Amino acid sequence: MSAPDVGRRRTGAAAAPPAGSGAGSSASEQLQRALDRISRVRGVRGSMWVAADDGIPVAQLLMEGVRGKAIAALAASLARKVSGASAATGAGRVRFVQMEAAGGTLLVAPASDDLLIVALADSRVNIGLARLEMIRAAEAAHA
Amino acid sequence: MADDVRSLTTELARDPRSLVYADLAEALRKLGQREEALQVVLQGLTRHPMHADGHDCLARIYADMGDLERARLAWSKALEIAPDHMGSLRGVAFLLFRQGDLVAAEAALQKVLAREPADDGAGRALEVVRRGLAGSAPPPVRAARPAPRMTEPRLLGATRPEIFHGFDGATADILLLDQRGLVLGGGLTDRDGKDASELAAAALAGVSGEASRTTEYLGLESWSAIVAEAENAHLVVAPVGPGALLLVRRDRSIAVGLALRFAERARGIALAWLDRQGA
Repeated sequence: MSAPDVGRRRTGAAAAPPAGSGAGSSASEQLQRALDRISRVRGVRGSMWVAADDGIPVAQLLMEGVRGKAIAALAASLARKVSGASAATGAGRVRFVQMEAAGGTLLVAPASDDLLIVALADSRVNIGLARLEMIRAAEAAHA
Repeated sequence: MADDVRSLTTELARDPRSLVYADLAEALRKLGQREEALQVVLQGLTRHPMHADGHDCLARIYADMGDLERARLAWSKALEIAPDHMGSLRGVAFLLFRQGDLVAAEAALQKVLAREPADDGAGRALEVVRRGLAGSAPPPVRAARPAPRMTEPRLLGATRPEIFHGFDGATADILLLDQRGLVLGGGLTDRDGKDASELAAAALAGVSGEASRTTEYLGLESWSAIVAEAENAHLVVAPVGPGALLLVRRDRSIAVGLALRFAERARGIALAWLDRQGA
């Protein structure tokens, strides 16, 4: 697992501040701690915070070889489209999205209008546990 | 006009949540690019389902396409949201006039003029309508044929193939769509019981191709389902053969696993139906 890579983008109150900036370091640490907790779940190959609007990673903790940018782009597009369908049918705000594929699972939890928390997992993952950690992180970021 | 489209496209790309989508769709409509206009406005309405200008624009596009029933529904929706929406009041009057329902057209035009007495276009149209009613002018279009009426928007859904006959929620909770976001069958209603199939389908346009391309790129192989847990319901999206998607809505009280099993059964029905259509 590579070291946490906290980006420079700011996305509202829950954004990661530039690494090393004193005032915002607790927010940055909070984001990193959430990624760390999610990535400890068995089967999770990486987790990241993603800007909801443009699908650009804000912070990430990924195993070597995992393509973060492609995951982030797909997750943002997926969240946007599923949220659109949900709004149109009166299903309300989407709390969690799971895309199942033969070789693994993509998990997405919208944390706010601006930010998503995303995880990529293999087929051995305990989805229930990963889901709980992601929803907890999303709620903490939203608060 | 083409410059307008460019600048509005740039503006919308910069802020996808902007209401400028309606202006972009209107500009495309005026250029005769109806399919593109329709795509833009349906996408915009998935983000802003209560935007009266968006529904007004959607109605104009449908009217241009000659789909007067859908135009009427869209203008009705706009007026439901904003009862004094002038564009939609004029649109309804135009529609009634075009359908040859002169009595209703007169009433609609009077409503427009009561709000905007200086509207010359409405004034001239009212004169024509009154001449038609007095028998001094030929009725505008197919006067002998009564204007088709749709009392309930849900009737639109009822004309679709009943693919899921016998399933719980066959015409209200299960939708079959293609990868371009067009409805193939089934139906979905919103919380008020009104047909929301087209909006839901448009929101999911492109999901299938995007998911397939990215999962392959990421080495996840083929995708089998997308499950969304929302405040009021679970949504399951599943590919149905090449080029089609299934969207199933189940109540929040139903476990996600059961919703997936239900979707799998509906998927089997949809596959068999598509096969029978030769699709």
